[in-house]
Amino acid sequence: MAEPKKQSQLQDVWPLSPLQQGLFFHARYDDGDVYTAQLVLELRGGLDADRLRAAAETVLARHANLRAGFRQRKDGTPVQVIHRRVRVPWEEIDVSDRPDPEEAAAEIADRERARGFDMARPPLLRYTLVRLAPDRHRMVFTNHHILLDGWSTPVLQTELFALYLTGGDDTGMPRVAPYKDYLAWLARQDRAAAEDAWRAALAGVDEPTLVAPGAPEPEPGTEPGRVRRLLDPELTAALTARARAHGVTLSTVLQLAWGTVLGHLTGRADVVFGAAVSGRPAELPGVEQMIGLFINTLPIRVRLDPAATVAQALARLQREQADLLPHHHLGLADVQRLAATGTLFDTMTVLENYPFDPALEDGGAGTDLGGLTLHGVGGYDASHYPLALAAVPGERLSLRIDHRTDLFDAAAAETVMRRLLRVLDAVAHRPDEPLGRVDTLDPEERDLLLSTWQGGPQDTAEPRTITGRFRALVADRPDAPAVEVAGGETLTFAELDERANRLAHRLIGLGVRRDSRVAMLVERSADVIVATLAILKAGGAYAPIHESFPADRVQWAVDEVDAPVLLVDSATRERVAGISTAATVLVVDDDPETAAQPGTDPGVPDHPEQLAYVMFTSGSTGLPKGSMLTHRDVVDLATDGWMRTGAHDRVLVHSPHAFDASTYELWAPILAGGTSVVAPPGRVDAATLRRLVADHDVTGLFITTTLFNLVAEEAPETFAGLREVLTGGEAGSVAAMRKVLAACPDTAVGNVYGPTEATTYSTIVAMRDALADPAEQAPVLGFPIDAVRVYVLDAALRPVPPGVTGEAYVAGAGLGRGYLHRPGLTAQRFVADPFGAPGDRMYRTGDLLRRRPDGTLEYVERVDFQVKIRGFRIELGEVESALAAHPGLAHAAAVVRSDGGVKRLVAYVVPAGPDAPTAAELRAHAAARLPEYMVPAAFVALPTLPTGPNGKLDRRALPAPDLAGAAAGRPPRTEREEALCRAVADALGLESVGADVSFFELGGDSVTALRLVTRAAQAGIELTPRDVFTHQTVEALARLDELDDAARGLGFEVMLPIRTEGSRPPLFFVHPAGGLAWGYFQFQRYLGPDQPVYGLQARAFTEDALPGSVQEMAADYVGQIRAVQPHGPYHLAGWSLGGLIAYEIGCRLQAAGEEVALLTMIDSYNGLDLNSERREVLPELLGGIGIDASMADENGEPDVPRIMAALAERGDALATLDERSLRNVYANYANGIRQAEEYIPGRFGGDVLFFTAMRGRKDGDPGAAENWGPLVDGVVEDHPVDAEHHALMEPGPVRAMGSVLAARLDKLASARR
Amino acid sequence: MTNPFEDADGAYLVLVNDEGQHSLWPAFAEVPAGWTVAKTEDTREACLAYVEENWTDMRPKSLIEAMGA
Repeated sequence: MAEPKKQSQLQDVWPLSPLQQGLFFHARYDDGDVYTAQLVLELRGGLDADRLRAAAETVLARHANLRAGFRQRKDGTPVQVIHRRVRVPWEEIDVSDRPDPEEAAAEIADRERARGFDMARPPLLRYTLVRLAPDRHRMVFTNHHILLDGWSTPVLQTELFALYLTGGDDTGMPRVAPYKDYLAWLARQDRAAAEDAWRAALAGVDEPTLVAPGAPEPEPGTEPGRVRRLLDPELTAALTARARAHGVTLSTVLQLAWGTVLGHLTGRADVVFGAAVSGRPAELPGVEQMIGLFINTLPIRVRLDPAATVAQALARLQREQADLLPHHHLGLADVQRLAATGTLFDTMTVLENYPFDPALEDGGAGTDLGGLTLHGVGGYDASHYPLALAAVPGERLSLRIDHRTDLFDAAAAETVMRRLLRVLDAVAHRPDEPLGRVDTLDPEERDLLLSTWQGGPQDTAEPRTITGRFRALVADRPDAPAVEVAGGETLTFAELDERANRLAHRLIGLGVRRDSRVAMLVERSADVIVATLAILKAGGAYAPIHESFPADRVQWAVDEVDAPVLLVDSATRERVAGISTAATVLVVDDDPETAAQPGTDPGVPDHPEQLAYVMFTSGSTGLPKGSMLTHRDVVDLATDGWMRTGAHDRVLVHSPHAFDASTYELWAPILAGGTSVVAPPGRVDAATLRRLVADHDVTGLFITTTLFNLVAEEAPETFAGLREVLTGGEAGSVAAMRKVLAACPDTAVGNVYGPTEATTYSTIVAMRDALADPAEQAPVLGFPIDAVRVYVLDAALRPVPPGVTGEAYVAGAGLGRGYLHRPGLTAQRFVADPFGAPGDRMYRTGDLLRRRPDGTLEYVERVDFQVKIRGFRIELGEVESALAAHPGLAHAAAVVRSDGGVKRLVAYVVPAGPDAPTAAELRAHAAARLPEYMVPAAFVALPTLPTGPNGKLDRRALPAPDLAGAAAGRPPRTEREEALCRAVADALGLESVGADVSFFELGGDSVTALRLVTRAAQAGIELTPRDVFTHQTVEALARLDELDDAARGLGFEVMLPIRTEGSRPPLFFVHPAGGLAWGYFQFQRYLGPDQPVYGLQARAFTEDALPGSVQEMAADYVGQIRAVQPHGPYHLAGWSLGGLIAYEIGCRLQAAGEEVALLTMIDSYNGLDLNSERREVLPELLGGIGIDASMADENGEPDVPRIMAALAERGDALATLDERSLRNVYANYANGIRQAEEYIPGRFGGDVLFFTAMRGRKDGDPGAAENWGPLVDGVVEDHPVDAEHHALMEPGPVRAMGSVLAARLDKLASARR
Repeated sequence: MTNPFEDADGAYLVLVNDEGQHSLWPAFAEVPAGWTVAKTEDTREACLAYVEENWTDMRPKSLIEAMGA
């Protein structure tokens, strides 16, 4: 540092605040405008420009921190150098004579914003005074964000114009509290206490609150959409009064309101969002009048306890926020690191205490300054959050929702705004209302959800009893066939009636009365139907016992129904021989007394509410529960409009009687005067089905999802003779449905959904229409059937809007009576319906559903099948359909298992033929279709999937995967290896592992790597996550302590060994512009154990000099490559700049007479002017090292502390990347771009394998063929990848490219054999 | 998502409709039309015990009347 002279320019040197450090770091490597803030004020009236300039000079003189230049010390520490005197940059431009002065002024503002600042040269601010007319000026104040935040703007403005009035004289003004005091205050804060406080505040937050999960990064430079509202003064006053009455701030009121809206948008009762906080510590005197950078973004957590009143919720939120106030100095990155989820939110709120919203139209009078008035014109403050709420207090509270237009269109943002207003109204006026009663939906939305999208009107023709309807049919068509037994008798309505009457008389004689139950265990035959009807005629209800019930379960069921009679047949009588019951055991096909009964109707009165049947379903307690369904329920189903199209007039009876599909099979045809076609006893296979359908003119049948999928696989044409096949019971397979639809062009496929408690099914959809769009991938549920209502409700029993998952409640037609002998359970599941007719009930299904924007219902998951791995919510159905799409598979099921204490997703697959795909193939297949966390850790091949009694998949019968087989390897040789083997096995939940098996081949990932580090530490062996990534096997990890630090610090060396084992010629990946080859680590998973992989990395990480050209690097790397592999065939690959270098290496190796068998370029182009790409430096660069490229601070600017935190949190090779290395990446990148522009490629004598990033391509972007075709002698084989250029090293694209590369390398290897 | 009927620590009511059917009901939610409060705010356990004790005939009232029982 220079020797201070008297009156040196240098006044002081300060450290940077953490926020300033972040901005400083990024600003050095990025082009200007992202970090540039701007305030534009319109000045009306006579203006004395010189006075204003004098005022601006005084402001600068008063605030030392505005005179800071930013530099780095030799050791890298950034400092702010305060200059003693700095002249204010001031420009006056007269545009009054331009044709459009407004436009000219706007252009000037844009230009000013685009102009960067030299960080080292203060001041990092400037004024431009634009004269539009003699009495109209526009003041454009542009500054670097590192100097001051939005909170400072009004202070600056007030001070500026106060000084304008005094002509720049500040004698009367209070002394400015120096920013230096703030820096000193920061240094004094207790970081550990703050971390504890935040950790406690976020405890139990296990999921981020995202309104746009999986949203792509915002397109750079796009402005958010904006929706504004100015509240009326009454509501504003009421909100202010509410805040005051409860001793909370307006900010708390708004946060509770936003939290409530967010709860509705996400279906969550515990939400987190970001809030901009001033960051100004109250204990710092004069802090409110300081102009500087203090602002911070911090998470706000709102617990939406539906039982808490608005007032209670306000108090709690205020208390929680007050407790956190002393800890606001912790940066967002540090706070997020403390949370279990990493990223916590994707929405923001900010309460702007600007005196007016500068972006608002000129509402009302401006500030009066002795004839001069101020009016807001604009500011620049882009938000990149999907949704951000900004509020400006005033007589009329001004609200603005900024929305990313690619995620929320204007209408959607308007809807959010309306919901917010509805909540604010409740908060303002109904403090004692529980949060659970605060409704956010519009009347129109409610109407859609509760009425329009519900079942239509019902055919209400009387009678509503099974017996009454049947009686009428017997009179109407006595000779029509009612029952047709395959290979057996046919009963007309009159014959069925007569036989049922005789048995009914017999049953009455044995004590059956109205509403009493009769247990029955009868094989499928005409007798099943006769007996069922007879029980009803006697006034009783049938209670079928499943044929696969073991003896003690039969005993239990007989006891449970407490029946006077147990009906069996000669085939099943043996099954009940051993049970002890007071009931009379009646053998229906061997009871002489029945024949002696009269054939006339016993004339027992019936009633729609009378019990018709009891169906046992599995209960969570381990014992089944009996659902009670009534005559009305059965008639509701049988007379539903869908049933009465003719497609269900001849229905095949093949389901177990004890499965509620039998309700449809028996009653839908018979109660319409049609015929039940009875299949032979036992389970039917596809061939039998086909024969029965053809021989008996069956028009409709129901088949469970599992059976449907099986038939679809084996013989989809089976259903061809049917008018409609109904399927349901589980989430269906779109692929199977498509197969059937294609094989049976005249057959409809109806997907049905509904609980037994609501009579067989509640919703139906015609899949031919639903799947007409080839892009449709979901087996949707459609809409409720006639007079049925399906509500999708949140945790406070409010309907959720489309797109939000909620729990399904079924009401209306078909709703059963409850559970037999279980009033308590019934009262929990059949509950009061707030949306139906007075006194209605609704059944709580335990299924999570959501509606699409058009109202279509979609199944999401079972409440109790909700699976999560590594904090990600997984929809097993999605994994299953992805696997089922593999041509080599007939079926697939996925479950989450916790064998050995490690939660893993395991796939069970049934191969379609003898050539079963290998686990590795399936993994690659799944990896190409699913996010990484949804790729099963193990694949188990089975001959068939186990099914339960009703043909549903029996998840519990699936065997545990054999991971131990894969883990076998050579046993440990040293104590150290042994300890490490144990640690690896522990971390992965395996019995034991070999010393030479890669951690990642055993299903290890970044999370389990962290666990391994912990386990190793417990065994006294120090490892870093990066060690695990770099060395992978126990063998290699055990050797680490023999290495010195330099060798252990692997990761930055020029030749990065990714996998050194394997007999094939290695694949060399060349680094992209950022200089690191780490992104390529991921490829080894897909390339097979026999394929060595190396990465070439820039020397910038180990030496100071930056290389001069692509040629220079290629020459260097050729030497490196030949040291590993002296002669060809060579395999080369590279992404972006790396592709150009690989190309040049290829040319050079060929020139040296070597064979280059594979040259792969990943989205690399020659001769491009990359100037326009410079602004994408950051995203591409971050993408290159595997960081979420959207990571930036609250102003859309990259946030170094947050990036560093994210790196540390990853727990992988990048965890130990330090700030210096990150800077090297930047430096290398800038250098690399220049080199890419300058590189002129020569000819390459061979083929090129090319990957094109399809997303974000613009018109005029070169294609692989036109760009490289003229330069290469061979073919340019182009593979599109669904990703943006900078996102190519993300897991998805890597998987896609990895499988192509693997196939190519396999082919090369076999060609050489 | 916690179901409002499954909150072991929550406050509940027991509602009854004209058919004598009982429903557990979270105390925070508005009582739907056609239902009256049979048991005022209490624990979930106490409310279920009330139901078990008082809802002994699960047939709807209209049916009980029709059957003349």
